[in-house]
Amino acid sequence: MIAEALKGKTILVTGSTGFLGKSIVEKCLRSIPDVARINLAIRSSARRPASERLEREVLSSPAFKRLKDELGEERFGKLASEKLAVIEIDLGRDGLGLSDAAREQLRACDVVIHSAAAVEFDNPADLSAQTNLLGAARLVEALRASGARPHLVHISTAYVGGMLRGRVREEPPLDPGLNWRHEAEVMSSLRAPVEEESRRPEVLNKLRREARSRMGPAGTPAVARATERLRDRWVKDRLVERGRTHANAMGFSDIYSFTKAMAEQAVVELHGDIPLSIVRPSIIESALAEPFAGWLEGFRMAEPLILAFGRNILRDFSGLPDSLLDIIPADLVVNTVLAVAANPPPDTEPRVYHAASGSRNPLRLRRMAGEAGIYFTAHPLRDRYGQAIGTPSWTFPTRQEIATQARLALRLVEAAQWVVERLPLGASVAQVSDDLNAERDRLDRGLNLIQLYGVYTEVDCIFDTRNVMALWEKVPAAERTEFPFDPALYDWSHYFQNVHFPTVVRMSRAETTARRGKQPSGSTAPKTESSSVRATIERRSGRADVLAVFDVDGTLVETNVVEYFLWMRLRAQPLDEWPSFMARMLRQAPRWLYLERRSRAEFQRSFYREYDGLDPEVMQRLGREALDAVTLRRIYPEGMRRIREHKRAGHRVLLLTGALDVVVEPLAELLDVEVDCAHLLVNDGRLTGDLESPPPAGEARSALLEEYAGRNGVVLSESFAYADSLSDLPMLELVGSPVAVNPDARLSQVAGQRGWRIERWRMAPGNWRLPMPDPRSPEYLEAVRR
Amino acid sequence: MPRPGAVIEVDRNTPPVLFHFGEGIRLEKMPLGARIVYPPDPLEPIGHPERAIKRALAKPLEDDPLKSLLRRGMKLTIAFDDLSLPLPPMAAPDVRQLVMEEVIDMAAEAGIDDLHIIAALGLHRRMTEDELRHIVGDRIFSTFHPERLYQHDGEDPENNVYVGKTAQGEEVTLNRRAAESDLVIYVNLTLVPMDGGHKSMSTGLASYRGIRAHHNVKTLLGSRSYMNPPDSALHHSCIRQGQLIEDTVRVFHIETTVNNHAFPAIANFMQKRETDWTAQDQAIFLATKQMTDLAPPAFKRNVFHAMRAPYGLTAVNAGQVDAVHDKTLDAVNRQIAVRVEGQTDIVTIGVPYLGPYNVNAAMNPVLVLCMGAGYLFNFYRNKPVLRKGGVLILTHPCRYEFDAVQHPSYIDFYDEVLADTKDPAEIEKKYELRFAEDPWFRQLYRKSHAYHGAHPFYALYWAAHAMDHAGDIIIVGGDRDVVHHLGLKCATTLEDAFEMAEQTVGRYPSITHLRTPPIMLCEVE
Repeated sequence: MIAEALKGKTILVTGSTGFLGKSIVEKCLRSIPDVARINLAIRSSARRPASERLEREVLSSPAFKRLKDELGEERFGKLASEKLAVIEIDLGRDGLGLSDAAREQLRACDVVIHSAAAVEFDNPADLSAQTNLLGAARLVEALRASGARPHLVHISTAYVGGMLRGRVREEPPLDPGLNWRHEAEVMSSLRAPVEEESRRPEVLNKLRREARSRMGPAGTPAVARATERLRDRWVKDRLVERGRTHANAMGFSDIYSFTKAMAEQAVVELHGDIPLSIVRPSIIESALAEPFAGWLEGFRMAEPLILAFGRNILRDFSGLPDSLLDIIPADLVVNTVLAVAANPPPDTEPRVYHAASGSRNPLRLRRMAGEAGIYFTAHPLRDRYGQAIGTPSWTFPTRQEIATQARLALRLVEAAQWVVERLPLGASVAQVSDDLNAERDRLDRGLNLIQLYGVYTEVDCIFDTRNVMALWEKVPAAERTEFPFDPALYDWSHYFQNVHFPTVVRMSRAETTARRGKQPSGSTAPKTESSSVRATIERRSGRADVLAVFDVDGTLVETNVVEYFLWMRLRAQPLDEWPSFMARMLRQAPRWLYLERRSRAEFQRSFYREYDGLDPEVMQRLGREALDAVTLRRIYPEGMRRIREHKRAGHRVLLLTGALDVVVEPLAELLDVEVDCAHLLVNDGRLTGDLESPPPAGEARSALLEEYAGRNGVVLSESFAYADSLSDLPMLELVGSPVAVNPDARLSQVAGQRGWRIERWRMAPGNWRLPMPDPRSPEYLEAVRR
Repeated sequence: MPRPGAVIEVDRNTPPVLFHFGEGIRLEKMPLGARIVYPPDPLEPIGHPERAIKRALAKPLEDDPLKSLLRRGMKLTIAFDDLSLPLPPMAAPDVRQLVMEEVIDMAAEAGIDDLHIIAALGLHRRMTEDELRHIVGDRIFSTFHPERLYQHDGEDPENNVYVGKTAQGEEVTLNRRAAESDLVIYVNLTLVPMDGGHKSMSTGLASYRGIRAHHNVKTLLGSRSYMNPPDSALHHSCIRQGQLIEDTVRVFHIETTVNNHAFPAIANFMQKRETDWTAQDQAIFLATKQMTDLAPPAFKRNVFHAMRAPYGLTAVNAGQVDAVHDKTLDAVNRQIAVRVEGQTDIVTIGVPYLGPYNVNAAMNPVLVLCMGAGYLFNFYRNKPVLRKGGVLILTHPCRYEFDAVQHPSYIDFYDEVLADTKDPAEIEKKYELRFAEDPWFRQLYRKSHAYHGAHPFYALYWAAHAMDHAGDIIIVGGDRDVVHHLGLKCATTLEDAFEMAEQTVGRYPSITHLRTPPIMLCEVE
C-alpha cells in the first residue's frame, strides 16, 4: 500500500539535514525503490553550497551506512545521483528565494514532507518563530503560488496542545484565540529591543566588570572579547527567557511547542485546496531497528537526562512518577510519515495523526527511572578515577523544591569560587579551583535540565492514536514488516536496555570500561610518562621556522620581579637599613597585589618606579650576581630540559618576559637564547624608573610575538608557547601548541576549557631560600662597602 | 703516641655504636659477635708547619731546591687542589695557603712578575669567591684575584692544549697556561691515598677529553681499589698521562698530608670511640641527636656545613713527583691504615652529610651512592672487607633533594638516565657523551658553579665496583622511592636490614661495622 502508492511519485523533503529528515530520505531510498525522485530542500550556508551540504551533512551520515553496505559504494552513488536532487530553498525568506528552475522542481512535486524545525527547547524566541512558524507558512504560500497541488505532510509535535490533561484527540488544532501572524511579528521583533537593552550602560558595565574580573590581566582586547561574548550570551539568555515566558503565558511549556502550534494554525489557514496531513510525533528517540538499532543523531530531549542520571549529576528529579513519558522510536515516526504520505486525504479537510506511544504502549516515568537504574547498575559509567558511578534513586519532589535547593548550592559554590580566585596563591589553589568549577558545572547543568524538561515529566495526557491505527489496519500484512509503525510492537525493556541506553552512552563517549592501567593487574613496574608536547617537538624537529617562546617568572624560574628587587636592594644596603626598607615594601604590598590582579602591565609600571634613582651599573652587577644566588637556584629543571629539547630540535627559542633586563639577560646569555624583556630609561647616569617601551604584558606580548614572527619568518601556528598566568593568554592564543605551566586559577580554567596542555614544573627540592643575601658572608660585606 | 686503629668484637659490654646518617646521627646496638673497626687516633701534627714547609722547599726529594729553579722573567704557574679536599674544609689557615704564601714569597724574592695561580678543579664546580678566599687566604686573594688567581676551565676551547697520547692510547690535555709555563708548582693536599701524585696534574688541569680516558666503567672495575694506587688501573692510567705531562712541562710537586682530626671540639664525640665518651660527649651527642631529629633539613645543613676541621699537618714533601708521592702515601697510610682479618658477609657503613662533591650543598641521591658504595666501600687494600656477594648496608636519609646551582646535571641524570637503566656500562654508552656535550651544562660549569655534565656519570662509576661486588646494597632510613630509583633496597631500621640481608647471605651472617669517618683504610688479610 505504501511503496505502491508512492511509486513514480516525486517527494520533497525539507529539513533533510536534520535527524528525522535524513531518516525519511534513507527509508525512501531503501524501501521505496520505485519512487521517481526525492528532492531535498537545502539552503546554501555561508560556508558551503547546497550540493556540498547534501554530500557532507546528509549522505555521509551513518544512517546511510546500511544502504551503502547492502549496495556497495558504487551502486549507492548511482542510486543517490539518480533519485536525489537538491532544491535550493530558503525558508527564512518570503517566496523561499526560489530560482526559476527551483520553482519548476517545486511544481513537479507530488508529496511535500515538511520536517524542518528548530527543535531545541531553549532557542531564542525570534529564531523559533522564524524557523518553525514563518518557515511553514512561507512553504505553504510558495506551494500555492507555484500552482502545484502536492500532498503536504506537515510534521508537528504532539505537544501543540500545550499542557493539557486527559486524552488529546487527532484533530486540527483548537483555536486558542491567537493570531499567528501577530505572534510571529511579536517574537521576530524581540531581538532589536533586547540588543539595545544589552548596550545600556548599567548592563554593559556589569558585563565589563565580570569580564575584567575573569580576564583582566590578559589585556584590553581579551577583556573586550570576553565582554562581547558575555553580551551575546546575555542577549541570547534574554531572548530564550522571553520566548519561554511568552510561551508559558500562552499556556505552552516552551517556545518549541508554542511556535509549532502556531505553525499548525498557519498551515491549516493557508493550505487552501492543497491536501494537508499533519503528523504529530511525541518525543522522538533513537531508532528501534532501522536503519540500525540505536540510530540517533545529536542529543535530543531525554539523552541529557539519561546521562545525568548515569553520571549521578541529578541526585533527584522532579515529576509525577506515574505520569506518561511519551517516547517514540524514530523509525516508527518515519514509517508513520510515509504511510501518511501514501494516504492523502481525499478532500481539503486536514487530517491529523499522532505518532505517539502513550495509548498503545504506555511508559511511565517511574518505569523509565527503573530501567535506567537497571542499565547503569549493569553498565556503570566511570568517574575520573576509573571507579563505577553509583546511580541515584529519585524521590520525585516537586520542581520548585528541587530548583530552590540547586540554586542555593550554586550560590554557595560561586561564592567559594569568588574567594579562591582572589587569593594571591597562584598555582597552589588551582586544584581547589578546578574542583569548584566542576561542582558549579554539575549544579548548573542539573538546574538547566530541571528547568527545561521538568515540565514534560509532569504531563498528564494521553495522545489518541485512532487515525494512526486506522492507517495501520489498512497496511497489508506483507508490508507490515517493511513499514512497522504500531507502537505496541515493541517492549520498553528491550528498547531501553538493548537500544536506547547503549546508544546514549556511546554517543556521549562516556567512560564505561575500567581503564587499562587502572585494572588490577598488580604490576608495579614503573611506567614512563609520555608527554604529548615532547612528541610534538619531535614531530616538528629540524624546522627553523618553529619558535618556542617562554615566559620567565613563574614559568622557568620560581620567582617574580619583587623578589629580585628585594634581593638586589638588600644586597647593597647595610644591615641596619634593612628593617626600614622592608617596612616600606610591606606597606606597598596590598596596592601591588591589587594592581597585579587588575593587570600585570599596570603592576609592573608601578613597581618599577622603585628603581628610580639607582645606579644602572650597580644594578647590572647585582643582576649578574642574582643569577647564581636567585635564578639558578630557583629554576625548574624541566623547563631547562624543555628549552634544550627545542634547541636540539632546531627550533628558535625566545624568552618573552616583563622582568628587567638586568636579571633576565644573564640567564638568556647562559642559555644562548634570544630574549625580549623590559628596559628602564637612564637619565644622567641614573635609572629613572620609567620603562623604555610599554611593559610586554597582555596584548602587548602577542603584538611583540607577531612582530617577531613576521621579522624572522616564524610559523606561529606550528610554534610553542609556555606561560603561567592569565596575562600571557594573548601570547598563548597566538601559537599552535600552547602549554600552561603551573597555571594560576584563572589560566587553569581557560586552559581546561580550551583543551590546552597543562604541565606542572617544580623546583629541585631543597633549594628554596628567602630572597635575601647572607649578611655574614664576606661577599655581602664587600658589596655594602662598595 | 696515638692509638692505632682497632677491631673490636661486640660483646655484652660493648656500647651502641655511632652511625652517621646524613645530616644526622644514629646510635645502633650491633649483634653480639659482630666486629667494629675504628680508625687510628689523630697523629700528632707538626709543631711548626711554616718551618717544615721551608725545609721541604729547601731540600726537595730528587730535585733541586726551589729557590734555584726560580729566576727573573720566567713564566711561573702555581696550581692547587680545589675544595673537594679536605673534608670537612680545614679551619683557617688552610695548609695550601701556608705553602703558597711561602712559594709566592720566594717567587717575589726572585723577581718573578709573570705568576698565575690556578685552582686545579678538573671537572668539579667553580668555587665561589668566599670558598676560594678560604683556601688561599686573604693576602693572596686580594693581591691576585681575579686576573692572576682564577680557576681552571676544562671547557674553554682557547685555554686547553692537547699534549698527546700515551702508549696505551690515553689522550692527554692540559691547561694552556700551565703547558706554556717555564715552571708549574703543584700545591697538593692529600687526605686519602687516591689523591696526589701524577693524578693531580692529569685530572686537575685536564679537560673532559683527558679525564674520560680513565674515568670510565672499565678502568674503575679494574681498580681494586682506587684507594690503593698499586692495585688501581685508574692510577696506572694517570701515571702514564702524568709522565707525558712531566715530559712536556717542568713540574715541581709540593704535597702535604694532614691527620684525621676531622671534627671540631663541639662534635668531638664523632671523632672518639664510644667507649671513650665522657659525660660531656654523651650530653653533646644527645643534644645533637635531638636537634637533628627535629630540625628541618635546610637548617641542619647550614649547621653541619659551617663545621671546620681542626686538621693538623703531618707531612710536607717537595720535589720530583714519584719520590714525593711515595713519602706522602707513607704518611697517609700511617694515619689511616687499620689491619682487618678476613672478610665478612655484611658490612655496615654510616654515610655522613658530606662527600667531596657536596661542599656547601645537599648530598643528592646519586652522591649518596657515590659516597657510600664508592668512596667508603673502596677504602681497602688487598680485598674488600665485604666478601663477594655479601650485603653492603648504608645508613642515610637519601632524600630527593638536589642543589640546583651545583648539581643541575645530577637532576637530569637522576630523572632521565636512572629512570631508564641502572647499569653503569649501558649508561656510559648511551648517555655520557650527550650530557658531557650539553651546551647548557657546559655553560653552567663554565659561568656558574655547577659540576660538569659528565660528573654524575663519574659519581656512578665510582660505585660500579661495589655494585658489581656486593650481592645487595641496602640503605637504612632512606626515602623508599629514591632508593628504589637508584636500584637499591631500602630498610626502615638496621634490624630490618639484617633480616633482609639474610635472604642473600643466610642465617647468622658475619658482620663488620666500619666506624667511619674519620676515614680509615682497611688492610684486609
